[in-house]
Order: sequence, then C-alpha cells, then structure tokens
Amino acid sequence: MQQLNILSELQCDALAEVFNIGAGRAALSISEIVNDEVKLSIPCIEVKKSTEINAEILPLPNERFGTVHQDFSGPFEATAMLVFSEENALEIVRDMMGSQMSLEELVEFEQEAMCELGNIILNACLSAMADMLSISLSSSLPCYTITSCAEVINTITGSTDQDYVLVLNIVFTSVKRQSEGHLILLLSSTSLTNLIKHIDRFLGNI
Amino acid sequence: MSLPNYVLEDVFNAINLGLIIVDAEYNVLFWNDWIFKRTHIKQAEAVSHKLDSVFSEPLSVTFLNAIKNTLEYGLPTVLSNALHRSPLPLYDLSLQTDEKTRIPQAITISPLQSQQGELYCVIQVTDSSTSIKREKMLRSHSEIFKREANTDSLTGIYNRRFFDEHYKIAFHSAIRQQQYLSIFMIDIDFFKDYNDYYGHLKGDETLRAVAQALKSQLFRASDLIARYGGEEFVLILPDLSEEQAEKFAEKLKNSIFNLAIPHVNSSLFNQVTISIGLCAGIPQEEYDILGRADAALYLAKQQGRNRCVMLSLL
Repeated sequence: MQQLNILSELQCDALAEVFNIGAGRAALSISEIVNDEVKLSIPCIEVKKSTEINAEILPLPNERFGTVHQDFSGPFEATAMLVFSEENALEIVRDMMGSQMSLEELVEFEQEAMCELGNIILNACLSAMADMLSISLSSSLPCYTITSCAEVINTITGSTDQDYVLVLNIVFTSVKRQSEGHLILLLSSTSLTNLIKHIDRFLGNI
Repeated sequence: MSLPNYVLEDVFNAINLGLIIVDAEYNVLFWNDWIFKRTHIKQAEAVSHKLDSVFSEPLSVTFLNAIKNTLEYGLPTVLSNALHRSPLPLYDLSLQTDEKTRIPQAITISPLQSQQGELYCVIQVTDSSTSIKREKMLRSHSEIFKREANTDSLTGIYNRRFFDEHYKIAFHSAIRQQQYLSIFMIDIDFFKDYNDYYGHLKGDETLRAVAQALKSQLFRASDLIARYGGEEFVLILPDLSEEQAEKFAEKLKNSIFNLAIPHVNSSLFNQVTISIGLCAGIPQEEYDILGRADAALYLAKQQGRNRCVMLSLL
C-alpha cells in the first residue's frame, strides 16, 4: 500500500508546535478553574486520508466516547472533535468539579462541564493557530455527544467532502490521574492545501 | 419581508433568557428585561457603561477572560454551571427576603461581527435552578432507592443482596491483604415453634429485637450484619484473631440471652437463644468460608444449641 506523506516532517513539527502552544494555554485556563495544576500535551500528530480511519486509531473500540465538536471556518474549514472515552471524560469532569457525587449521578452536569472543557481546549488550539499562522478563524458553538466508537468512525469516514483527517493524541494530566484522548480535525482537500500553505508561510517567516 | 428593529427588541425582551451585548471596549450596548428583572438595573443605566462597572459587585476573572478571549479571537465560549456556579450577580428579586443568593447560571458568549467589521459579544445567560433542582431530586430519589434495595424491610439491617456484594469485596480484600476474616452464621433456636406458639406478629417483633441486639455489638465501620434468610443472620468481621472471634461470638450469644425473651416452647431455657457457626482465618481463593461457617452452625445445633462452634478454614 502506498504510504501517503501528506505533510513533510518540518510541516508536521510546526503543526505540533502550534497545537502544543494551544494545549499549554488550555491547561492554564483549566488550572485556573480547578485551582490545581493541570497539564496538557500533544505528543504526536498524524495526517491520514479519512478512508484510512478505522477502530485502530481509537483504542478500546467497545467503549463509549464523549465527544465535543465545533465547526470552524476561516482560510480553511474544519470540524474539530475532541474525543475522550466516556469513563475518562467523567473522571476528568468529576475531578474538575471536586464533588463527592458518584459517576452515575453526574449525568446532567457532566454534559455541560465536558462541553466547556472541550470548548477551552479547542478554542485554545484554534487561537494558537490563529496567532501563529496570522489568520482569523470563527467557530460554531461547542456541542457534546456521547457516542459509540463506530459512530465516531462513521462521522469521520462518512463526511464526504472532508477527505483528510488530522489526528492528535492529547494527554491530560492532573494531580490525580492521566487520561488520554484524541483531537481530530476533519478537513477537505482544499482546506488541507490552504492549511499547508499557511504553515509554509509561517515556516518561511522564522 | 423582515421584522422591524423595534419588534426585534421586543422579542429580545420577551425571551426567557438573559441577553447582554457588549462592544469590543466592553461597553454595554444592549441589556434585556430578563437581566433587569434579576438585577433591577435598567437598560438605560447600563448602556454605554463598561460591563464591569455596571454591577455593584466585581465580576469574576474567568468571566472577564472569557469575554476577552471571545473578542480577541472571535471564538465562542461556554461557561458551564457545573464549573462556575454563578458568574454574574443575578438574584431572584421576586422573593421578599433579605437573604440574597445568586441564581445559578450557564453562560454562552458568542462573537458577532458587523458589516463594518466591528466585533461584538453576545452574552446569553440561562437560569440553571430548574435543572439543579431536578438533579437534586433525582439524586435523593436514587439514594432512597439504593438504601431500600439494600435493606431488609422487617429488621432494618442489610439484606441478603447487600451481604452477597459486600462479602465478595471483603473476601478478596482479605486475600489481597493476607488478613483474617471471620464469618458468623446465626440462627434463632426453635424459631418455628416460637412462631407457632406466639404467632407471626410476635415472631416479627422478636426478629427485630434479635437483629438490633446483634447489631448493637458492632462498633467498627468494617463490620457488617445482614439478615441471611428467615431467622438466620450473618456477620462479617475482618481482622480478628481466632481467639478474638470466639470471644466476640460469646458476646453475641449473651446479648440475645440477656434480652430474656420468653419462649415456652424452647426446651432449653424457656427463652429465645441463638446458635452460632463461626469460621475464621486468612482466606485463599478456593476456600469456602461461608460454607464452613454454615457447617459450624449445623454442629452448634447438633451439640445442643445456645452455643458457638468454630471451624477453621480447612
């Protein structure tokens, strides 16, 4: 099978840097809210054709996932999805709320809090991208859903005009635990080309 | 066809949602009736003033940062009630009390851009009280159900279902920590005869009295008593030596004897007594500690009742 090298190593590094700056900003905001140190890092980044996406990129395929998604637009358009396993999402939210409530009792608040958490992370990554690539982006309101792995995959592969997927692993570390999730950007080939153009411009300026 | 502007303003005032619009300099441009009703600050008093100077109380840093970020990057921000409770000083002013507590809120801040390119912020506020009330009600219901599901309705102590769950946990924890575990199987002597003679109502009363007397012997949070079946009770106590466990069984036996509940059909003492089967030891996965305690109880019955028999784990 032909291996697609859609992004060069340099472009990949630049993009990883942009997202890590965003993750840093998000961690700062979250730390302020929870009054405790929270770290966020994005150790790896991959670009794939959306048809290549299968259950392998999301570990534990039988689990249910909490997904926050926002559609954003600007020089390029994308659907950004932050995906955590439902269990991890609940644990993070419970830590943030510092409550004694048990997981199953959180249902109503969980949705709102998770939506905010996703909004913080996605906005921070988008604003870091806007700053570093000198662009301006706008976005829809965040929306939180609980879905199965198959549904997440379907969203990715079923999006007909968004042929490319940017997959970032995201590691959330708080005093109590470390959780892993994914940040997924769905892009059309035009949007990917535009994104690459802006990365090259950014690389040319440094 | 489109709505004239003055109708739009009426619409904004009619909706059941707080609406504040500020410009890029944080000046209030619009303030709907919903906000007025919860602050008693009129739109006219708020418009053209900086948002953080309109209220008599300071606004939270996270709320101001959220507006700043929305204006700076043009990205919408949500502030959930779960993480922020009440960012704005809004009160239920229809209540005629001096006590002032802020309305719990959820806030959405969206950027708006005019055709001339100026940025605005639309701040939407929803009252979360109803959902919090609903959540609290559901939670208290679920607590009641949980308690009921685990309680024996006659005696008020734990039921068999809860015991079975607890037993599994205690058993594996004892294996893991290489700790002693003691199981006491208890049966009221000649209880069938008691019921036949005194009737079921009296029988129920005695079951309750025995359950309470046994329960009153427990002092550690780790110890548990449950109704195992008809007139059978089970106690599970971790971390007691065999000697301590035997002493404790003696105390249990005496606590029932000392109740001195008359039982003319008991061939023993003409009063209610119990037999106890005890098994104590450091368990391993394959050991049947419950079965051994049950076998010990059988022996206690055989050996004359009103006594405790202990069997080792093997």
